[in-house]
Amino acid sequence: MQPITDNDLILYFYRDGLEKHRIDEIDDALLSSPSLRERYVALKRMLTTVDGAPVIEPDLEFTDRMWRKLAAQIDDAKPSRRTVHRRVFTPLRFAMAASVLLAIAAGIGYYVGRSNAPQQNAMAARVLDAYVADHLRATEGLLLTASNSDSTEVLAGNRELAQSLVQSNRLYALAAVRAGNTRLADFLRQLEPVLLDLANRPADASIQSIDGLRDYLRKTDLLFEVRATQARLDTADKHKI
Amino acid sequence: MATDEERWVREARQGDRTAFRRLVEVHARPLFALCSRITRDAAMAEDAVQEALLNAYRHLGDFDSRSSFKTWLHRIAVNAALEQIRRQGKFDYVENDDDEDNDFLERYMDETPSPRHHAQGEEIRRNIDRELERMTALERSAFLLRHVEGHSIDDISQTLSLNISACKQAIFRAVRKLRGALQPLR
Repeated sequence: MQPITDNDLILYFYRDGLEKHRIDEIDDALLSSPSLRERYVALKRMLTTVDGAPVIEPDLEFTDRMWRKLAAQIDDAKPSRRTVHRRVFTPLRFAMAASVLLAIAAGIGYYVGRSNAPQQNAMAARVLDAYVADHLRATEGLLLTASNSDSTEVLAGNRELAQSLVQSNRLYALAAVRAGNTRLADFLRQLEPVLLDLANRPADASIQSIDGLRDYLRKTDLLFEVRATQARLDTADKHKI
Repeated sequence: MATDEERWVREARQGDRTAFRRLVEVHARPLFALCSRITRDAAMAEDAVQEALLNAYRHLGDFDSRSSFKTWLHRIAVNAALEQIRRQGKFDYVENDDDEDNDFLERYMDETPSPRHHAQGEEIRRNIDRELERMTALERSAFLLRHVEGHSIDDISQTLSLNISACKQAIFRAVRKLRGALQPLR
């Protein structure tokens, strides 16, 4: 059995993030090891003290005040259309081998474009939707990580992911065109400048450039559009089954 | 049968202001509690709640019921709170490494709480407050979402856009920092 670390005990305390067999191992070890039991008691004591931490209470008028502020805003709160400011982004730097997945996607588009059989077309379109939904999930994670983290390690991983997503984005856009789904193709093309910007971001990206991305995401609703398209594809996929 | 909340969400989606008001009445104060824990500032928390609810209204059409409305709203609110911290220039970008003490429990396990310890509840609370302040915004958010709000690590990683491992590390660092809250009393 692997040694039980303090981190294991933290996860055990929350019964979260550990495999079932590891929880069982810790259960057994707690029964047999007084010193482990003492460590766990120390942890529980520490964590339960947090429950007494001071909490800021809102005043009694808070909810009414909040509604008054919102009521003044929601009439204008229409979902905004996103516009892509290409000049914000740095020039391309294009590289990355295409993966098997992308070949499949391109093949789907090609197949849909050439096939005359409606049933086969529907099947291929469903597969494309599923792949693009996964692609958008990865894109969403990429955008959120890029705008929320400045860890060099995380950003380096993000850059590699962005480089591979640029490639897949282009192939999915092509596949969507071939499948006659121009709406999806247009949306994917709109994503490309952002992906390129992240794929070409230097390792020592400044806080200003992270703030710039964050402002861009906030102003354009890009994240919400990625999520919405992803949800639409997931739903469409379910309905087609 | 649809709950009141499901009905309000459906009606608000169609532009019914009264239905949206019901949702605000139910969720505004819990959202304030969440945002104030993250921002540590009442004014920033209030701004975050307002921004979160407005965003939620604008994007009600994107809520697909795969998660609960509360979870969806919490995700928006956490990010609004973090955004407030960034706008104030208080976002800690650098995670310091002076807390990489992986076996911190070892040194505390022999010590049982003394009567003095019990008498110093107020001091402990102040110390916890200080340690929560010392955490980075992401550490604090990850820890509070897990410990106070009871969200799963999987949910938290999605909310904070971290991978599972980074999310766990944020929680571990937060807990390690908490040990400082008890130190002066030992």
